[in-house]
Amino acid sequence: MKEIIKLILKYHFTIIFILLEFLSFSLIVLHNNYQRTVFSGYTASFFGTLSSIITDVDDYFHLRTTNHKLVAENTNLKNEIEKLKAYHHVVSIDTTWLIKDSVEVDYVYKTAAMVNSGFNKTKNYITINKGTTDGIQREMAVCSGEGVVGIVQNVSKHYARILPLINTNLRVSGKIKKNGYYGSLQWDGDDYRYSYLNDIPFHVNAEPGDTIVTSGLSTIFPKDELIGFVESVDKVTANFLTIKVKLATDFKRISELYVIKNTRKQEQEELEAISNE
Amino acid sequence: MSNIKFVIHFLILLLIQLTILDNVQLHSYMYINIYILIIYILPYRLRNATILFFGFFLGLFIDLANNTMGIHAAATTLIAYIRPRLLMLTSNREQIDDIQGKQKISDFGWFFKYILISTAVFNVVLILGEAFSIQNFLITLLRIICSTVASIFFILLYYFIALKKKRN
Repeated sequence: MKEIIKLILKYHFTIIFILLEFLSFSLIVLHNNYQRTVFSGYTASFFGTLSSIITDVDDYFHLRTTNHKLVAENTNLKNEIEKLKAYHHVVSIDTTWLIKDSVEVDYVYKTAAMVNSGFNKTKNYITINKGTTDGIQREMAVCSGEGVVGIVQNVSKHYARILPLINTNLRVSGKIKKNGYYGSLQWDGDDYRYSYLNDIPFHVNAEPGDTIVTSGLSTIFPKDELIGFVESVDKVTANFLTIKVKLATDFKRISELYVIKNTRKQEQEELEAISNE
Repeated sequence: MSNIKFVIHFLILLLIQLTILDNVQLHSYMYINIYILIIYILPYRLRNATILFFGFFLGLFIDLANNTMGIHAAATTLIAYIRPRLLMLTSNREQIDDIQGKQKISDFGWFFKYILISTAVFNVVLILGEAFSIQNFLITLLRIICSTVASIFFILLYYFIALKKKRN
Protein backbone atom coordinates (compact mmCIF):
# COMPACT_ATOMS: atom_id res chain seq x y z
CA MET A 1 0.00 0.00 0.00
CA LYS A 2 2.83 2.34 0.97
CA GLU A 3 4.54 1.51 -2.30
CA ILE A 4 1.45 2.40 -4.31
CA ILE A 5 1.15 5.79 -2.61
CA LYS A 6 4.84 6.38 -3.21
CA LEU A 7 4.36 5.52 -6.88
CA ILE A 8 1.39 7.86 -7.18
CA LEU A 9 3.32 10.67 -5.50
CA LYS A 10 6.29 10.08 -7.77
CA TYR A 11 4.22 10.22 -10.94
CA HIS A 12 1.50 12.61 -9.78
CA PHE A 13 2.41 15.10 -12.52
CA THR A 14 1.80 12.54 -15.28
CA ILE A 15 -1.28 11.11 -13.58
CA ILE A 16 -2.92 14.52 -13.25
CA PHE A 17 -1.98 15.20 -16.87
CA ILE A 18 -3.68 12.01 -18.06
CA LEU A 19 -6.79 12.77 -15.98
CA LEU A 20 -7.04 16.29 -17.40
CA GLU A 21 -6.57 15.04 -20.97
CA PHE A 22 -9.24 12.44 -20.37
CA LEU A 23 -11.54 15.16 -19.05
CA SER A 24 -10.86 17.30 -22.14
CA PHE A 25 -11.53 14.37 -24.42
CA SER A 26 -14.85 13.61 -22.78
CA LEU A 27 -15.77 17.30 -23.00
CA ILE A 28 -14.99 17.22 -26.73
CA VAL A 29 -17.08 14.13 -27.34
CA LEU A 30 -19.98 15.21 -25.10
CA HIS A 31 -20.36 18.82 -26.17
CA ASN A 32 -19.44 18.98 -29.86
CA ASN A 33 -21.98 17.57 -32.26
CA TYR A 34 -19.57 16.67 -35.03
CA GLN A 35 -17.06 14.95 -32.76
CA ARG A 36 -19.83 13.06 -31.00
CA THR A 37 -21.11 11.70 -34.31
CA VAL A 38 -17.64 10.58 -35.41
CA PHE A 39 -16.98 8.99 -32.03
CA SER A 40 -20.24 7.08 -31.97
CA GLY A 41 -19.40 5.91 -35.50
CA TYR A 42 -16.12 4.44 -34.25
CA THR A 43 -17.73 2.75 -31.27
CA ALA A 44 -20.57 1.47 -33.42
CA SER A 45 -18.19 -0.26 -35.83
CA PHE A 46 -16.13 -1.71 -32.96
CA PHE A 47 -19.07 -3.12 -31.04
CA GLY A 48 -20.73 -4.04 -34.33
CA THR A 49 -17.83 -6.32 -35.27
CA LEU A 50 -17.84 -7.85 -31.81
CA SER A 51 -21.51 -8.62 -31.71
CA SER A 52 -21.70 -9.83 -35.32
CA ILE A 53 -19.43 -12.71 -34.32
CA ILE A 54 -21.71 -13.55 -31.40
CA THR A 55 -24.81 -13.26 -33.56
CA ASP A 56 -23.35 -15.52 -36.24
CA VAL A 57 -23.17 -18.31 -33.70
CA ASP A 58 -26.51 -17.45 -32.16
CA ASP A 59 -28.27 -17.48 -35.53
CA TYR A 60 -27.62 -21.21 -35.94
CA PHE A 61 -29.91 -21.96 -33.05
CA HIS A 62 -32.78 -20.06 -34.63
CA LEU A 63 -32.49 -21.46 -38.14
CA ARG A 64 -35.63 -23.54 -37.82
CA THR A 65 -37.96 -20.73 -36.74
CA THR A 66 -36.37 -18.33 -39.22
CA ASN A 67 -37.00 -20.87 -41.96
CA HIS A 68 -40.64 -21.19 -40.99
CA LYS A 69 -41.09 -17.46 -41.12
CA LEU A 70 -39.39 -17.22 -44.50
CA VAL A 71 -41.60 -19.93 -45.89
CA ALA A 72 -44.67 -18.12 -44.63
CA GLU A 73 -43.49 -14.87 -46.18
CA ASN A 74 -42.65 -16.65 -49.43
CA THR A 75 -46.13 -18.06 -49.59
CA ASN A 76 -47.59 -14.60 -49.16
CA LEU A 77 -45.40 -13.22 -51.93
CA LYS A 78 -46.28 -16.11 -54.24
CA ASN A 79 -49.93 -15.42 -53.64
CA GLU A 80 -49.37 -11.80 -54.55
CA ILE A 81 -47.62 -12.85 -57.76
CA GLU A 82 -50.52 -15.09 -58.65
CA LYS A 83 -52.95 -12.25 -58.08
CA LEU A 84 -50.90 -9.95 -60.29
CA LYS A 85 -50.66 -12.61 -62.98
CA ALA A 86 -54.41 -12.98 -62.91
CA TYR A 87 -54.72 -9.23 -63.19
CA HIS A 88 -52.46 -9.19 -66.24
CA HIS A 89 -54.55 -11.84 -67.92
CA VAL A 90 -57.48 -9.52 -67.59
CA VAL A 91 -55.60 -6.45 -68.85
CA SER A 92 -53.35 -8.09 -71.41
CA ILE A 93 -52.56 -5.12 -73.54
CA ASP A 94 -48.90 -4.61 -74.51
CA THR A 95 -48.76 -0.98 -73.46
CA THR A 96 -49.34 -1.83 -69.80
CA TRP A 97 -45.96 -3.57 -69.81
CA LEU A 98 -44.28 -0.51 -71.23
CA ILE A 99 -45.81 1.66 -68.55
CA LYS A 100 -44.89 -0.78 -65.82
CA ASP A 101 -41.25 -0.99 -66.93
CA SER A 102 -40.80 2.75 -67.00
CA VAL A 103 -42.40 3.29 -63.60
CA GLU A 104 -40.03 4.58 -60.94
CA VAL A 105 -40.35 2.94 -57.58
CA ASP A 106 -40.95 5.10 -54.53
CA TYR A 107 -39.34 2.76 -52.04
CA VAL A 108 -36.33 0.48 -52.31
CA TYR A 109 -35.97 -2.45 -49.93
CA LYS A 110 -32.66 -3.81 -48.68
CA THR A 111 -32.22 -6.83 -46.43
CA ALA A 112 -29.97 -6.69 -43.40
CA ALA A 113 -29.20 -8.96 -40.50
CA MET A 114 -29.34 -7.89 -36.91
CA VAL A 115 -26.06 -8.21 -35.04
CA ASN A 116 -26.92 -6.72 -31.68
CA SER A 117 -30.02 -5.63 -29.83
CA GLY A 118 -31.50 -4.78 -26.49
CA PHE A 119 -35.03 -4.92 -25.12
CA ASN A 120 -34.68 -4.56 -21.38
CA LYS A 121 -33.82 -0.87 -21.12
CA THR A 122 -35.89 2.24 -21.72
CA LYS A 123 -33.55 3.34 -24.50
CA ASN A 124 -32.95 0.23 -26.56
CA TYR A 125 -30.95 0.05 -29.76
CA ILE A 126 -30.47 -2.45 -32.55
CA THR A 127 -27.32 -2.78 -34.65
CA ILE A 128 -27.46 -4.21 -38.18
CA ASN A 129 -24.70 -5.40 -40.52
CA LYS A 130 -25.29 -2.90 -43.33
CA GLY A 131 -23.77 0.59 -43.46
CA THR A 132 -22.93 3.46 -45.78
CA THR A 133 -21.19 1.12 -48.23
CA ASP A 134 -24.56 -0.59 -48.77
CA GLY A 135 -26.32 2.71 -49.25
CA ILE A 136 -27.82 2.96 -45.79
CA GLN A 137 -28.33 6.50 -44.60
CA ARG A 138 -29.71 8.13 -41.50
CA GLU A 139 -33.48 8.31 -41.02
CA MET A 140 -34.32 5.36 -43.21
CA ALA A 141 -37.18 3.14 -42.14
CA VAL A 142 -36.54 -0.38 -40.87
CA CYS A 143 -39.10 -3.20 -40.93
CA SER A 144 -39.07 -6.91 -40.31
CA GLY A 145 -41.21 -9.46 -42.11
CA GLU A 146 -43.77 -9.00 -39.34
CA GLY A 147 -43.97 -5.22 -39.12
CA VAL A 148 -42.30 -1.91 -38.36
CA VAL A 149 -39.03 -2.06 -36.39
CA GLY A 150 -37.65 1.47 -36.23
CA ILE A 151 -35.55 4.18 -37.81
CA VAL A 152 -31.83 4.26 -38.68
CA GLN A 153 -30.15 6.65 -36.29
CA ASN A 154 -26.41 6.36 -36.88
CA VAL A 155 -24.42 4.83 -39.70
CA SER A 156 -20.80 3.69 -39.90
CA LYS A 157 -19.14 2.07 -42.88
CA HIS A 158 -20.44 -1.45 -42.37
CA TYR A 159 -22.95 -1.08 -39.56
CA ALA A 160 -25.98 0.97 -38.72
CA ARG A 161 -27.61 1.72 -35.40
CA ILE A 162 -31.39 1.58 -35.28
CA LEU A 163 -33.70 3.39 -32.93
CA PRO A 164 -36.45 0.76 -32.54
CA LEU A 165 -40.08 1.28 -31.56
CA ILE A 166 -39.09 0.12 -28.08
CA ASN A 167 -37.01 3.23 -27.38
CA THR A 168 -38.76 6.00 -25.48
CA ASN A 169 -37.07 8.60 -27.71
CA LEU A 170 -38.79 7.43 -30.88
CA ARG A 171 -42.19 8.68 -31.92
CA VAL A 172 -43.84 7.25 -35.00
CA SER A 173 -47.02 8.44 -36.60
CA GLY A 174 -49.55 5.60 -36.51
CA LYS A 175 -53.03 5.25 -37.95
CA ILE A 176 -56.09 3.13 -37.21
CA LYS A 177 -56.49 1.29 -40.48
CA LYS A 178 -60.27 1.01 -40.56
CA ASN A 179 -61.11 4.71 -40.09
CA GLY A 180 -57.88 6.57 -40.86
CA TYR A 181 -57.51 8.53 -37.60
CA TYR A 182 -53.85 8.98 -36.75
CA GLY A 183 -51.83 9.72 -33.63
CA SER A 184 -48.31 9.38 -32.37
CA LEU A 185 -47.00 6.05 -31.19
CA GLN A 186 -44.59 6.16 -28.27
CA TRP A 187 -43.23 3.46 -26.03
CA ASP A 188 -43.57 3.86 -22.25
CA GLY A 189 -40.36 1.96 -21.46
CA ASP A 190 -42.06 -0.95 -19.75
CA ASP A 191 -43.00 -4.07 -21.72
CA TYR A 192 -41.27 -4.65 -25.05
CA ARG A 193 -44.41 -6.23 -26.49
CA TYR A 194 -46.67 -3.21 -26.06
CA SER A 195 -46.57 0.44 -27.11
CA TYR A 196 -49.06 3.28 -26.83
CA LEU A 197 -50.85 5.31 -29.49
CA ASN A 198 -51.72 8.77 -28.18
CA ASP A 199 -53.62 11.82 -29.42
CA ILE A 200 -56.57 9.94 -30.89
CA PRO A 201 -59.77 12.02 -30.43
CA PHE A 202 -62.18 10.51 -27.87
CA HIS A 203 -65.08 10.03 -30.29
CA VAL A 204 -63.13 7.66 -32.50
CA ASN A 205 -64.32 4.11 -32.45
CA ALA A 206 -61.40 1.80 -31.69
CA GLU A 207 -61.80 -1.75 -30.51
CA PRO A 208 -59.39 -4.48 -29.43
CA GLY A 209 -58.12 -6.31 -32.48
CA ASP A 210 -58.12 -3.30 -34.82
CA THR A 211 -55.06 -2.92 -37.00
CA ILE A 212 -52.59 -0.04 -36.52
CA VAL A 213 -50.45 0.88 -39.53
CA THR A 214 -48.03 3.68 -40.42
CA SER A 215 -49.75 6.82 -41.62
CA GLY A 216 -47.28 7.64 -44.40
CA LEU A 217 -47.32 11.27 -43.29
CA SER A 218 -43.58 11.45 -42.65
CA THR A 219 -41.04 10.98 -45.40
CA ILE A 220 -39.58 7.98 -43.60
CA PHE A 221 -42.12 5.16 -43.58
CA PRO A 222 -44.14 3.94 -46.53
CA LYS A 223 -47.88 4.06 -46.07
CA ASP A 224 -49.73 1.16 -44.44
CA GLU A 225 -46.80 -0.77 -42.96
CA LEU A 226 -48.11 -2.91 -40.12
CA ILE A 227 -47.28 -1.64 -36.62
CA GLY A 228 -49.53 -3.79 -34.46
CA PHE A 229 -53.00 -4.49 -33.13
CA VAL A 230 -55.14 -2.71 -30.56
CA GLU A 231 -54.92 -4.45 -27.20
CA SER A 232 -57.07 -2.13 -25.10
CA VAL A 233 -58.47 1.40 -25.24
CA ASP A 234 -58.27 3.85 -22.32
CA LYS A 235 -59.79 7.27 -21.95
CA VAL A 236 -57.11 8.99 -19.86
CA THR A 237 -57.77 12.67 -20.51
CA ALA A 238 -61.08 14.30 -21.41
CA ASN A 239 -60.42 14.70 -25.11
CA PHE A 240 -58.03 11.99 -26.14
CA LEU A 241 -57.79 8.23 -26.06
CA THR A 242 -54.70 6.24 -25.24
CA ILE A 243 -54.60 3.00 -27.15
CA LYS A 244 -52.44 0.13 -25.97
CA VAL A 245 -50.97 -1.52 -29.04
CA LYS A 246 -49.57 -5.03 -29.22
CA LEU A 247 -46.60 -4.64 -31.54
CA ALA A 248 -46.57 -6.92 -34.57
CA THR A 249 -42.78 -7.23 -34.38
CA ASP A 250 -41.43 -9.50 -31.67
CA PHE A 251 -38.27 -7.61 -30.72
CA LYS A 252 -36.89 -10.61 -28.87
CA ARG A 253 -36.90 -12.78 -31.96
CA ILE A 254 -36.18 -10.66 -35.03
CA SER A 255 -32.99 -11.33 -36.95
CA GLU A 256 -33.77 -10.53 -40.59
CA LEU A 257 -34.70 -6.92 -41.34
CA TYR A 258 -35.56 -4.73 -44.30
CA VAL A 259 -34.19 -1.23 -44.58
CA ILE A 260 -36.49 0.93 -46.67
CA LYS A 261 -35.24 3.85 -48.68
CA ASN A 262 -37.66 6.50 -49.80
CA THR A 263 -36.30 7.54 -53.19
CA ARG A 264 -38.34 10.71 -53.27
CA LYS A 265 -37.63 11.84 -49.72
CA GLN A 266 -35.24 14.57 -50.76
CA GLU A 267 -37.59 15.93 -53.38
CA GLN A 268 -40.46 16.12 -50.90
CA GLU A 269 -38.34 17.73 -48.19
CA GLU A 270 -36.90 20.30 -50.56
CA LEU A 271 -40.37 21.25 -51.72
CA GLU A 272 -41.63 21.53 -48.15
CA ALA A 273 -38.60 23.58 -47.14
CA ILE A 274 -39.27 26.03 -49.98
CA SER A 275 -42.94 26.28 -49.07
CA ASN A 276 -42.12 26.96 -45.43
CA GLU A 277 -39.91 29.91 -46.19
CA MET B 1 9.52 37.75 -14.95
CA SER B 2 7.83 39.27 -11.94
CA ASN B 3 4.30 38.35 -11.02
CA ILE B 4 2.77 41.74 -11.77
CA LYS B 5 4.35 41.91 -15.20
CA PHE B 6 3.14 38.38 -15.85
CA VAL B 7 -0.45 39.28 -14.94
CA ILE B 8 -0.31 42.30 -17.24
CA HIS B 9 0.99 40.19 -20.14
CA PHE B 10 -1.64 37.58 -19.32
CA LEU B 11 -4.48 40.09 -19.61
CA ILE B 12 -3.13 41.77 -22.76
CA LEU B 13 -2.61 38.44 -24.54
CA LEU B 14 -6.09 37.20 -23.65
CA LEU B 15 -7.56 40.49 -24.82
CA ILE B 16 -5.72 40.30 -28.17
CA GLN B 17 -6.78 36.68 -28.60
CA LEU B 18 -10.46 37.13 -27.80
CA THR B 19 -11.12 40.50 -29.39
CA ILE B 20 -8.94 40.44 -32.51
CA LEU B 21 -7.47 37.08 -33.47
CA ASP B 22 -10.55 34.96 -32.79
CA ASN B 23 -12.50 37.17 -35.17
CA VAL B 24 -10.03 36.86 -38.03
CA GLN B 25 -11.35 34.39 -40.59
CA LEU B 26 -8.59 32.84 -42.68
CA HIS B 27 -10.37 30.09 -44.59
CA SER B 28 -10.09 27.64 -41.68
CA TYR B 29 -6.53 26.75 -42.71
CA MET B 30 -5.02 29.12 -40.18
CA TYR B 31 -5.86 29.37 -36.55
CA ILE B 32 -3.83 32.08 -34.90
CA ASN B 33 -3.42 31.41 -31.20
CA ILE B 34 -1.23 33.90 -29.42
CA TYR B 35 -2.61 33.19 -25.98
CA ILE B 36 -0.44 30.08 -25.57
CA LEU B 37 2.45 32.51 -25.01
CA ILE B 38 0.97 32.90 -21.53
CA ILE B 39 1.97 29.34 -20.74
CA TYR B 40 5.47 29.85 -22.21
CA ILE B 41 6.20 32.89 -20.05
CA LEU B 42 4.90 31.45 -16.79
CA PRO B 43 7.46 31.90 -13.99
CA TYR B 44 10.15 29.28 -14.51
CA ARG B 45 10.14 27.93 -11.00
CA LEU B 46 6.60 26.63 -11.61
CA ARG B 47 7.02 22.88 -12.07
CA ASN B 48 4.35 21.07 -10.09
CA ALA B 49 0.76 20.21 -10.94
CA THR B 50 -0.30 23.87 -10.72
CA ILE B 51 0.98 24.41 -14.24
CA LEU B 52 -1.22 21.57 -15.54
CA PHE B 53 -4.33 23.02 -13.96
CA PHE B 54 -3.37 26.47 -15.17
CA GLY B 55 -3.02 25.16 -18.74
CA PHE B 56 -6.25 23.21 -18.56
CA PHE B 57 -8.37 26.09 -17.27
CA LEU B 58 -6.78 28.57 -19.67
CA GLY B 59 -7.71 26.29 -22.57
CA LEU B 60 -11.17 25.72 -21.15
CA PHE B 61 -11.69 29.47 -20.90
CA ILE B 62 -10.81 29.90 -24.60
CA ASP B 63 -13.05 26.94 -25.38
CA LEU B 64 -15.99 28.58 -23.64
CA ALA B 65 -15.39 31.79 -25.58
CA ASN B 66 -15.11 29.98 -28.93
CA ASN B 67 -17.69 27.26 -28.29
CA THR B 68 -15.19 24.49 -29.00
CA MET B 69 -15.67 22.61 -25.71
CA GLY B 70 -12.52 20.71 -24.71
CA ILE B 71 -10.36 21.05 -27.82
CA HIS B 72 -8.21 23.96 -26.64
CA ALA B 73 -8.15 22.49 -23.14
CA ALA B 74 -6.65 19.22 -24.43
CA ALA B 75 -3.97 21.10 -26.38
CA THR B 76 -2.99 23.54 -23.61
CA THR B 77 -2.85 20.76 -21.02
CA LEU B 78 -0.38 18.90 -23.24
CA ILE B 79 1.94 21.89 -23.73
CA ALA B 80 1.79 22.58 -20.01
CA TYR B 81 2.76 18.96 -19.42
CA ILE B 82 5.76 19.01 -21.76
CA ARG B 83 6.88 22.47 -20.60
CA PRO B 84 9.25 21.42 -17.78
CA ARG B 85 10.82 18.69 -19.93
CA LEU B 86 11.14 21.02 -22.88
CA LEU B 87 12.82 23.67 -20.75
CA MET B 88 15.33 21.03 -19.69
CA LEU B 89 15.89 19.88 -23.25
CA THR B 90 16.28 23.20 -24.99
CA SER B 91 18.69 24.72 -22.51
CA ASN B 92 21.51 23.08 -20.61
CA ARG B 93 21.48 22.40 -16.92
CA GLU B 94 23.61 25.36 -15.93
CA GLN B 95 21.48 27.82 -17.78
CA ILE B 96 18.37 26.51 -16.03
CA ASP B 97 20.01 26.77 -12.63
CA ASP B 98 21.21 30.17 -13.58
CA ILE B 99 17.84 31.57 -14.58
CA GLN B 100 15.69 30.40 -11.71
CA GLY B 101 13.07 33.12 -11.67
CA LYS B 102 15.27 35.46 -13.71
CA GLN B 103 15.33 36.80 -17.25
CA LYS B 104 15.93 33.86 -19.48
CA ILE B 105 13.51 35.08 -22.09
CA SER B 106 15.92 37.55 -23.72
CA ASP B 107 17.96 34.73 -25.28
CA PHE B 108 16.29 34.61 -28.67
CA GLY B 109 17.82 31.36 -30.02
CA TRP B 110 16.66 29.39 -27.04
CA PHE B 111 13.26 31.06 -26.95
CA PHE B 112 12.65 30.34 -30.64
CA LYS B 113 13.54 26.66 -30.30
CA TYR B 114 11.21 26.39 -27.34
CA ILE B 115 8.17 28.06 -28.90
CA LEU B 116 8.67 26.22 -32.22
CA ILE B 117 8.34 22.79 -30.62
CA SER B 118 5.61 23.83 -28.19
CA THR B 119 3.47 25.60 -30.79
CA ALA B 120 3.81 22.70 -33.24
CA VAL B 121 2.67 20.23 -30.56
CA PHE B 122 -0.18 22.54 -29.60
CA ASN B 123 -1.46 22.82 -33.16
CA VAL B 124 -1.19 19.08 -33.81
CA VAL B 125 -3.55 18.42 -30.90
CA LEU B 126 -5.80 21.36 -31.73
CA ILE B 127 -6.30 20.52 -35.42
CA LEU B 128 -6.55 16.77 -34.84
CA GLY B 129 -9.04 17.43 -32.06
CA GLU B 130 -11.09 19.48 -34.45
CA ALA B 131 -10.82 17.18 -37.48
CA PHE B 132 -11.30 14.13 -35.21
CA SER B 133 -10.43 11.64 -37.93
CA ILE B 134 -7.43 10.70 -40.03
CA GLN B 135 -9.24 11.01 -43.33
CA ASN B 136 -7.89 13.78 -45.59
CA PHE B 137 -4.65 13.58 -43.67
CA LEU B 138 -2.75 15.83 -46.09
CA ILE B 139 -5.22 18.65 -45.60
CA THR B 140 -5.01 18.20 -41.85
CA LEU B 141 -1.21 18.32 -42.06
CA LEU B 142 -1.36 21.47 -44.17
CA ARG B 143 -3.66 23.08 -41.64
CA ILE B 144 -1.30 22.15 -38.80
CA ILE B 145 1.68 23.66 -40.60
CA CYS B 146 -0.15 26.83 -41.63
CA SER B 147 -1.54 27.37 -38.12
CA THR B 148 1.85 26.76 -36.53
CA VAL B 149 3.62 29.23 -38.83
CA ALA B 150 0.94 31.87 -38.37
CA SER B 151 0.84 31.47 -34.59
CA ILE B 152 4.63 31.61 -34.30
CA PHE B 153 4.70 34.74 -36.44
CA PHE B 154 2.30 36.55 -34.12
CA ILE B 155 3.99 35.24 -30.99
CA LEU B 156 7.36 36.51 -32.25
CA LEU B 157 5.77 39.83 -33.11
CA TYR B 158 4.56 40.16 -29.54
CA TYR B 159 7.92 38.95 -28.28
CA PHE B 160 9.84 41.63 -30.12
CA ILE B 161 7.39 44.38 -29.19
CA ALA B 162 6.70 43.62 -25.55
CA LEU B 163 9.13 41.06 -24.14
CA LYS B 164 12.53 41.37 -25.81
CA LYS B 165 13.32 44.95 -24.84
CA LYS B 166 13.19 44.04 -21.18
CA ARG B 167 16.77 42.80 -21.45
CA ASN B 168 18.37 45.90 -20.03
